Amino acid sequence: MTSPAQMAGYASDGLGYKTFPPDAVVIPADADDLARVIAVLKGVPICLRGAGTSLSGGPVAAQGGVVIHTSRLRAIRKICPEGLWCEVECGVNLNRLDQALAPYGLCYPPDPSSGPVCTIGGNVASNAGGAHCFRYGVTGNYVLGVEVVLLDGSVHRFGGPAGGRGRWQEDWKRLMIGSEGTLGAFTRFWLRLTPRAEKAWTFRATYADLASTERAIHGLVRHPAFPVAIELMDPRAVALVESSSMAMGLPKDHFMIVTEIDGPAALVDRRVESVAEVLRSAGSKDVQFGDSPEARKNLFQARKAMGGLLGQISPDYLVQDAVIPKRALAELLQLIYDEADQAGFPAVTVMHAGDGNLHPNFLFDSSKPEELEKVEGISKRLMERVVAVGGTLSGEHGIGNDKSEYMGMVFGPDSLRLQLAIPQIFNPRHVFNPLKVFPERRFAA
Amino acid sequence: MKQTAALPQFDPLSACVHCGFCLEVCPTYQLTGDENNSPRGRLRIWREEAAGRLEAEPMTDFYTSECVGCLACETACPAGVPYGEIFEKTRHEHVATGRFKPKLELKVAAMAVGYPALFNLALTPVRALRSLGFLPHPLVFPGRPAVLESTAAYARRFMALRKPDGPRVALLTGCLMEAMFREINFATVRVLIENNVRVVIPDDQGCCGAFQEHTGLDGVEALRAKNRQAFDGHDVECVVSNSAGCGFALAKTLDGKPPVRDVLGFLGGLGIKPRPRVAGNARVYVDLPCHLVHGQKADGIPKAVLDATGYEWELAPCAKDCCGSGGIYNIQKPENAREILARKSAFLDDAAGEPVILATSNHVCMMQWNSARSLVRRPFQVHHVIQLLDPGEKALLNS
Repeated sequence: MTSPAQMAGYASDGLGYKTFPPDAVVIPADADDLARVIAVLKGVPICLRGAGTSLSGGPVAAQGGVVIHTSRLRAIRKICPEGLWCEVECGVNLNRLDQALAPYGLCYPPDPSSGPVCTIGGNVASNAGGAHCFRYGVTGNYVLGVEVVLLDGSVHRFGGPAGGRGRWQEDWKRLMIGSEGTLGAFTRFWLRLTPRAEKAWTFRATYADLASTERAIHGLVRHPAFPVAIELMDPRAVALVESSSMAMGLPKDHFMIVTEIDGPAALVDRRVESVAEVLRSAGSKDVQFGDSPEARKNLFQARKAMGGLLGQISPDYLVQDAVIPKRALAELLQLIYDEADQAGFPAVTVMHAGDGNLHPNFLFDSSKPEELEKVEGISKRLMERVVAVGGTLSGEHGIGNDKSEYMGMVFGPDSLRLQLAIPQIFNPRHVFNPLKVFPERRFAA
Repeated sequence: MKQTAALPQFDPLSACVHCGFCLEVCPTYQLTGDENNSPRGRLRIWREEAAGRLEAEPMTDFYTSECVGCLACETACPAGVPYGEIFEKTRHEHVATGRFKPKLELKVAAMAVGYPALFNLALTPVRALRSLGFLPHPLVFPGRPAVLESTAAYARRFMALRKPDGPRVALLTGCLMEAMFREINFATVRVLIENNVRVVIPDDQGCCGAFQEHTGLDGVEALRAKNRQAFDGHDVECVVSNSAGCGFALAKTLDGKPPVRDVLGFLGGLGIKPRPRVAGNARVYVDLPCHLVHGQKADGIPKAVLDATGYEWELAPCAKDCCGSGGIYNIQKPENAREILARKSAFLDDAAGEPVILATSNHVCMMQWNSARSLVRRPFQVHHVIQLLDPGEKALLNS
């Protein structure tokens, strides 16, 4: 596909206000077709794309060239219940995989909010996380093997069903996970599965101030029930839900925490009261919890609704993905609020509080150049402070081209040189996904 | 610790956040894997063109014409983008400016539905053929409609015989439903009267306008104005519709004055009289029309109503996904519609039960399902759910 209209749909990922129309788009029918396309394409940048839900400007043609859309590589090739693994093509959607695993009583734990649409390929490329990764870990903890098409069209397997053990001993798959499309094109994965939790409880509590919110978070992370998720919404986020059609009677000026525990029924049922007590003793007067699917959905509803509601009130929003030490939360929130107030547009902040993954959303209008400039300035100052307090650039969205300029804030010249050496081996002219992760990675014909 | 900058007001028209949640539910994205053939892609193309960053070009016209209009994207959208509204407006513009040309037979039909009496007369031979058991086209499903008596006359007759004294409703009889598939209207009248509902059929009602909306042709406003007048002043609790698509279109027209309800949802709220348990191995698979669940935003067909059919039933797999009918999509884009149906109907081959019955609540979906006879290897029946609730004429008169 090459017409300008056809390029429009592929010009951005979930970071919709930054557009990079490619010169052409190819949708291969299968993995062999994909390998052939890569072998044939010479002298143009190549960018692999799954469902395009990334929030960091990852799967876009930042330097033009060809986007290869893996939407038709969506076969779940094998589920091995005894071996606790499955083999899937890169375009398999996460929720559909979950539906396929459910009858076996198995699950693939990483759960980014984009689960209804995102693909495994994109998840592996950005080492995606999700709310429940506090206990279960991120994508990288579940990848046993990766099949990759390299620059010359040759197909290689790093790992396999046995992971790092057995016949496929090399652990090069670790290099592939989180490589954001800079090393090769993923076509197939072998993923580790776990038994589905027998029972889960969801809790929701609100807090009048940050100090009591932090007490609750600190109590939860140390609780022997080991919550699977600890989600935080700031008062602006709560107010956003409460002023929408999804209002559920939460106090608009409060912080809100949602947490979940899961495991064997006999065990988790016994722990319900003590988790609720942690939330109450930290200062919440409205702790609610439930174990029925409807009750759990309702308690999580406000958090789930956030992304969409942002879109309803603002033409654009910039979301950051910082990871911070939990002790620095107050300092960072204050900076976010001060910066937003000074710029004159609101910030709505949510956080995967268990692992310190902070998502401030700055609401702005990209059609006004001064607002775009302001928001990018805020983003940079925020990241500087994040790094200064001992945090890092990205928890789960990846670096893409949105945060590549900040790499030097975290890594010294030696580290950057070594990191850049790896794509140099696989992809010396930066054919695969140029300008991503490192701004120096510029394609040269 | 507080911010001073206030939250902005809700603005649905700039709402798309590019999250892509619409991709997995979009039938044409599922068919093609092409982002441009998804709601997010189409919105992007339309917006780029509207902003002057993209010139009008054939591919834009193509992707616009590809949309089935099932509105599953509206259900999936977390940001409340009014996709259906934007799509209809764009399609109408494309047809008005010659960028898209609907098929001639659709243009003729669109004109004809504006004259219900003529339309009814013209389709008399089809009713006659159906009533004799001849099916002139794969989309025409079996049934035994009255050839001459209208639903209005039928309802008057049965109202006089049975004299129900419960809630009073107006029935939308529809154009194609009345002209071709009248037996469904008759069954609707019988079920309502059996449940003590007083049925009024406004004489001067016309086509709901869905046909024009689907084709992008002019004339919607005239049809809407006619129906606003026709359904005004009947002192009814609501208008009931036995077609999810027509009900959705009429609801937009009447805007709550009076409210429009799907007849099955309405019956669910009454405590419906059940049919006796059906003995044997028959099983009903219920498919939910897009314009019921995604258009009217109903949860589905009430469980109590489906239980009242007396059949063993379950939802068809992917019951909320489009069957490919899309009003007239199966005529406008037959290859796409057939492929969507092939995927959706594949389950029938191995479905439990004998006979298997596919039941839904929209006549155009029934037409599409009927055409699956050439895709599915075993025989199956297609019915409207209201037909499974039907006491039959004799039983109604004798009870």
